[in-house]
Amino acid sequence: MSQWLAQVIERAGNVDDWLASARSKALAELKEKEWPGRRTEAWRYTSLHKVADLNLATTSEATTAEAPQVEGLNSIDLVFVDGRLTSDMTNLVLPDGVTIASLDTKNDAAENLFGQVKPQHHLFGLVNDVLAQHGVVIDIAPNANVEQPIRIVNFASDGVESHQRSLVRVGEGAKAVIIEHGAGNGHSLNTAFAEYDIADKAALEHYRLALHEGEAIHVGGSHFRLHNESKLNSTLVGYGSQLTRLDVDIEHAGEHAFAKFNNIYLLAPKEHFDLHSTIEHAQPNGTTEENARGIIGDKAKAVFNGRIHIHRHAQKTLAELNNRNLLLTRGAQINTKPELEIYADDVQCAHGATVAEIDEEALYYMLTRGIDKQQALVMLNFGFVQELLFQMPNRALANWLQPILKQRFERMMEQQ
Amino acid sequence: MLSIKDLHARVEETTILKGLDLDIKPGEVHAIMGPNGAGKSTLGYVLSGREGYEVESGSVSLEGKDLLDMEVEERAQAGLFLAFQYPVEIPGVSNMEFMKESVNAMREARGEDALSSAEFLKKAKEACKQVELPLDFLKRGVNEGFSGGEKKRNEIMQMIMLEPKLAILDESDSGLDVDALQVVAKGVNSQRDGKRSFIVVTHYQRLLDYIEPDYVHILSNGKIVKSGGPELAKEVEKSGYAWLKEGEVA
Ligand SMILES: Nc1ncnc2c1ncn2[C@@H]1O[C@H](COP(=O)(O)OP(=O)(O)OP(=O)(O)O)[C@@H](O)[C@H]1O
Ligand SMILES: [Mg+2]
Repeated sequence: MSQWLAQVIERAGNVDDWLASARSKALAELKEKEWPGRRTEAWRYTSLHKVADLNLATTSEATTAEAPQVEGLNSIDLVFVDGRLTSDMTNLVLPDGVTIASLDTKNDAAENLFGQVKPQHHLFGLVNDVLAQHGVVIDIAPNANVEQPIRIVNFASDGVESHQRSLVRVGEGAKAVIIEHGAGNGHSLNTAFAEYDIADKAALEHYRLALHEGEAIHVGGSHFRLHNESKLNSTLVGYGSQLTRLDVDIEHAGEHAFAKFNNIYLLAPKEHFDLHSTIEHAQPNGTTEENARGIIGDKAKAVFNGRIHIHRHAQKTLAELNNRNLLLTRGAQINTKPELEIYADDVQCAHGATVAEIDEEALYYMLTRGIDKQQALVMLNFGFVQELLFQMPNRALANWLQPILKQRFERMMEQQ
Repeated sequence: MLSIKDLHARVEETTILKGLDLDIKPGEVHAIMGPNGAGKSTLGYVLSGREGYEVESGSVSLEGKDLLDMEVEERAQAGLFLAFQYPVEIPGVSNMEFMKESVNAMREARGEDALSSAEFLKKAKEACKQVELPLDFLKRGVNEGFSGGEKKRNEIMQMIMLEPKLAILDESDSGLDVDALQVVAKGVNSQRDGKRSFIVVTHYQRLLDYIEPDYVHILSNGKIVKSGGPELAKEVEKSGYAWLKEGEVA
């Protein structure tokens, strides 16, 4: 047992609110958990020794913060600092069909979501269950077509441990755009977990930006349940930081659901990034397209675990997962592992993991246009992840991210 | 402008160009025709400096400078442009950033200041209009998902923006519908200013109705086997290459 986890369990005993019954169940599970070591499959390539004895402040001095301005995004911003909601909820002007509540007060939607979508096996998910006292509950009414993006911003300050939770219900036939935007470069441990229930014929456009850097330790998850004929289009963009670990679970709980999931990770030297994605096809006729692309700098390490589980009943499933990695130096590391479990016989499933190489023909073409070789390589290498940026439906967000990621990449190339 | 003397070149183990001579003066348009596999595209690749295309002997100079001594990008910066027979798709790089980088690389080589974003955009819009490509093509990945004809028009757009001294157009007419053919021809003609020279590689006389060449050459089996005026293209159109002597056939 780690000292930190023992302390979490102790602190959890002091949390007493309307979610008490769900929390105590999670606490019981947590007490049964073993501290992950090398032989724990889910943590095989990511060591938690930096967390094991962590002892950061559990309350924060910080009060407010400005959400990063994204030109043209025009989002409804819910800003959390160290897990605490700092936006004034009473002043929010919300589009028709949108209800936003704080997790602090009893709420029907929250009751049906909390801990219901997120699988119980995630250790830090359970930690979040027992400790996250603040969060948001977003409820999109059936058939509401909400074009204005709702952005949940999570800042993590130096020296603080914090936990935040988001619960989202997209009603039948409704449409919504949700952005989870995390940042912070001080020494923190911050967890942010989100659960999404996407009802029949509903559509969710989702983004998760995990832009933590430096000494930050960020552990989080986005978990989705898709019902009949619903659609999910999700893009995850992550840096590495000292340790960034994300779990994404997409469950096809209804038939004819469609999920597109793109992820981009860009690791500066020495960063560590670990993404575990699990696609559960529990019902027939579902489609999943997942594309993960990473560029890994010197002495940085990326872990990608892509699991696709097609249940026996899930005939006519179409699932594709592709992971490509560009290693900038010999010191860069990738552990990529496909995990296919297919129990239905009439499915189409493809899974590929490769180390990317420079396209010589494209390079030649660029040189014939007078672009010098160094610059052409920068453009081609960055183009490898930029291709997924081009696919983001929200152009304002893509246009904001593009120069930020490009600059990060150019610095990575210089540090080689 | 361009002087090629007794050029021999090979790809891997096969010698493709076998003693090619060509002399092009400023402002001239030279058409090159010839059977499939004759070495027309190879000539373009060798001149542009493509890796894997090795010059065995001979010389090439552009405006008196030794072309073969330069890197691919230096040749481009010196004013050589190649419109590809099969333009390359680069999905993750937008046409816009590609062209901006390219235009500014050329300007830098000429000792000119880089264009501002606004100046570049203005120029790019004009070029798009000239080849009748919609503006949103600039935002798409380079040639990504473009139709065959759109790719060819994109090559011409690049030529217009890069203002080369010598442009080699490798089958810029193949796969074009009648209207697109005119668009491409107009684009090329707009760049004829008495100084800029062109090599137009084509299989069809049709293009040469629109872009009138000063000379027509027949390239066969790695050599120019016959040269003449525009009437030579008409002859090819009528009787094909059956008249080529044994050994001259590709
Ligand atoms: N990598 C290679 N290795 C060996 N031979 C090659 C290679 N690339 C091209 N060749 C050969 O070189 C010859 C000339 O090809 P090239 O593409 O220059 O012909 P072309 O005149 O442009 O023909 P087309 O009219 O069909 O475009 C062909 O016989 C071709 O097969
Ligand atoms: Mg050819």
